[in-house]
Amino acid sequence: MARLRLRFRSIQTHMALAFTFLILITILAMSVASYYLTKEAVKSNVQVYTAELVNQVNNNIRAYVNGMKDMADLAAGSYVIQNFLSVRQFADAAEENYYKEIISDFLGSMMVSRTDISSVSIFGYNGQFVSGRKDLELNPNIDPTSLGWYQNARNAAGQHVISPPHVQPVFKDRYPWVVSLSLELAARDGTKLGVLLIDLNFSVLNDMLREIRLGPRGYLFIVDWAGNIVYHPQQQLIYSNLKTEMIDRVLETENGIFTGEQDGGRRMYIVKDSGFGWKIVGVAYENELVGNQRRIQLSVFLLGIVCIVIAVALSLVLSRRIIQPIKRLQLSMQEVEKGNFDIHAPVSGTFETSKLAHAFNIMVGKIRELMWQIVQDQEQKRKSELNALQAQINPHFLYNTLDSIIWMAESNRNREVVQMTSALAKLFRASISKGEELVPVGTEIVHIENYLKIQKMRYKDKLDYHIDVDDAVKHYQTIKVILQPIVENAIYHGIKKKKGPGLITITAREEETDLILQVSDNGIGMDKETLRALLEPAPAGREGRGVGVRNVHERLQLYFGKSYGLSFESTPGEGTTAYIRFPKIPSVAGGETA
Amino acid sequence: MTSKAKWLAASLAILAAAGFGLSDWFHRMTFPRPARVDVIIKTNTMEFWQVLVDGVHVAAEEFKVDVRVNGPRTEADVDGQIAMVEDAIRGRPDAIVLAATDFDRLVPVARKIVDRGIKLIILDSGINADIAHSTVQTDNVAAGNKAGKVMQEYLQGPAKIAIISFVKNAASLLDREKGVREVLEGDPRIVRLDTYSVDGSEQNAYAKVMEILRNDPGVTGVIGLNEGTTVGAGRAISELGLKDRVTLVGFDNSLQEIKFLEEGVLKATVIQRPFSMGYLSIKTAAEVISGKKVPRTIDTGSLVITRRNMYEEENQKLLFPFVNG
Repeated sequence: MARLRLRFRSIQTHMALAFTFLILITILAMSVASYYLTKEAVKSNVQVYTAELVNQVNNNIRAYVNGMKDMADLAAGSYVIQNFLSVRQFADAAEENYYKEIISDFLGSMMVSRTDISSVSIFGYNGQFVSGRKDLELNPNIDPTSLGWYQNARNAAGQHVISPPHVQPVFKDRYPWVVSLSLELAARDGTKLGVLLIDLNFSVLNDMLREIRLGPRGYLFIVDWAGNIVYHPQQQLIYSNLKTEMIDRVLETENGIFTGEQDGGRRMYIVKDSGFGWKIVGVAYENELVGNQRRIQLSVFLLGIVCIVIAVALSLVLSRRIIQPIKRLQLSMQEVEKGNFDIHAPVSGTFETSKLAHAFNIMVGKIRELMWQIVQDQEQKRKSELNALQAQINPHFLYNTLDSIIWMAESNRNREVVQMTSALAKLFRASISKGEELVPVGTEIVHIENYLKIQKMRYKDKLDYHIDVDDAVKHYQTIKVILQPIVENAIYHGIKKKKGPGLITITAREEETDLILQVSDNGIGMDKETLRALLEPAPAGREGRGVGVRNVHERLQLYFGKSYGLSFESTPGEGTTAYIRFPKIPSVAGGETA
Repeated sequence: MTSKAKWLAASLAILAAAGFGLSDWFHRMTFPRPARVDVIIKTNTMEFWQVLVDGVHVAAEEFKVDVRVNGPRTEADVDGQIAMVEDAIRGRPDAIVLAATDFDRLVPVARKIVDRGIKLIILDSGINADIAHSTVQTDNVAAGNKAGKVMQEYLQGPAKIAIISFVKNAASLLDREKGVREVLEGDPRIVRLDTYSVDGSEQNAYAKVMEILRNDPGVTGVIGLNEGTTVGAGRAISELGLKDRVTLVGFDNSLQEIKFLEEGVLKATVIQRPFSMGYLSIKTAAEVISGKKVPRTIDTGSLVITRRNMYEEENQKLLFPFVNG
């Protein structure tokens, strides 16, 4: 679980997610934009195309209708026909047949070369019938006057009447689908004579319209002024109520375009008024306009998947290149954690990580150096302490002191014996710390006081001393045995070689952060050369002057840093002053101060 | 290095395979293979079936279905139709639309269709087993009722009525007869109501009706249960000049029947909607194939055509179908 969350938070996952997200957004935005742009473009193209097609169809149909109208007008103006229909009674059958023959030939000649016209006939109000086709007989079971085209022509007062497509049952044994044009015929004087019928083969229109396709499923249909369907490629479905068209909206629209939702799909209707009562309507399915919608969706989907796979692979590779050096660095760090500083992280990979590795290497190097330094320092410290201890219990000093005590005892100077022994005891007590490295300045003062007391007893008037240290500084911490080697040095190398009594003065001076103990003597002093050599490391193996002093200096520097330690001022013949500088560390009650 | 190269090669191979698979799938998704439907009708010689097949083709275009239409030369050729169904099954289409010539004898082969996992749509005439996914037909009992009611309107006094059936065991004819009988059997004016079967031949129907009318002047009504029987009966009545004595009520519409209507030989004919039937059978088949739920039975309806209403606009389209081609 934790591992999973860890994985989830890895750079790799973040990058993969970011890439995927970016790609998805881009693809989505682009596909939506392109889809809508294409859709709009195609839509307007289709509108133009469909409108043109509808116009063309309209022109074709008009050509047919106008042809019929011309024929009708020609026949209506024919004097022979008017005469024939006006005659109440023919002289004999021969005359009637003669008229009929002439009229039939006349009507027949109009039909020649017009395969679209199925028949041209006249029906007189007195029961006369002549057809341009001589093979046509009237259907004995049908009364022509009951038929729509006949009645409409009578009511239209000399206007052309175009019927919707219908079955023409008026001729015997024939039931053709036709579009009829009918016209009432009248004599010059206005007497109404009969009805002219011109039938147009509906199959001509049907064949023409059926071939028209607007897209895979688009089509064309025609309605008349009353909303009756004149032509529809799926007329049967409409009569069976399996399909509906928005006839009402088509009728409302003069010329123009509207879209509507019906039978599961938005359809675009392009309406054109033909000018003779029919409206031609082009229908296109909107979802078909933009090629294959499903195809577009699928391509987007597929493209998305491919891109995401690439994105994941890319982020894997990329993050691998970033993470691999980091991982190596991490391994190096683990080594360091274990304490192995002898390591060098490989500096490779990207600029940032190589910089990181470089910095790490420098850091490890520094640590290694510091560690070595510490080890060195510790070693030094140990040695110095050993030296200090040796200095503290200088066997010469002890031997001399004990010799003095013996000598004083032999001379029965008991009081002095007691004094010296007590001072010796105090000196040792002061130097015995409980193994702590740091002691209060006060203890150090007690220690040096007893030491000087002993030396004073030994040197009598040759040595005098004065200790003037304020109680206020006595609680500060310092390292052990810093005064004794310096005082010893002052006695043995300063005062002892001097004629006359010597004086050692010990004072303390407080600075802001440091405490300075001063040890001054009025001995023979030192020349510059000696002074300079005093703090320099002694050549190996040579015990000599200043070993103890140098030890103090080294220890102070080891403990407190390079800015602390000893410094000297000396004037040959007048004396030397030693300055012991260390930081003010207030003692913590009962505690240790590192 | 070699293992890395191996990995690279393997992943490239997998990628290529996935690519091919995807493009194949893509192709199939975007250009779906049209469903294949075999339509087996009763016969391909009659106008009723030609109009029906028109509906089939219109629907096939609209619903993107590949159809194959087949049918025996006559409705009486039950064995021929069974052989055609067997043949269709071997072609493993997605669906078979079947208009059964025999109520019982088509059952085993219909079971075989369903057993092979092919969808079965029954068209026009059913079988004696409820195994089809859907049935598209005229409610023939209701159509029979309508014919019976028209006959009732013309009845005067005690009447003998002859029902002429085309073949013995076709479901559509059995249902029509049942519908006619439902109406007429309760009528007290009817003294006799017989059914005659004519073995799937118009000529037989003509001869049978001639015989009936000649032998029994008391027969004043004839009901032809389909086009063939109606035309046969009409010819007999017309020839005997009995159109005023004998009321003929028929089914379906052919040019001959229309002429009989105009002449008054045929008083009324109950027509179906073969175009709708063909159209809906394919629409339903397409829906069944794509896994949609469809009604168990779809009634395409029937209507009564008389001399008076035959030239009304909506009836014209049914009576004088525009057979394409």
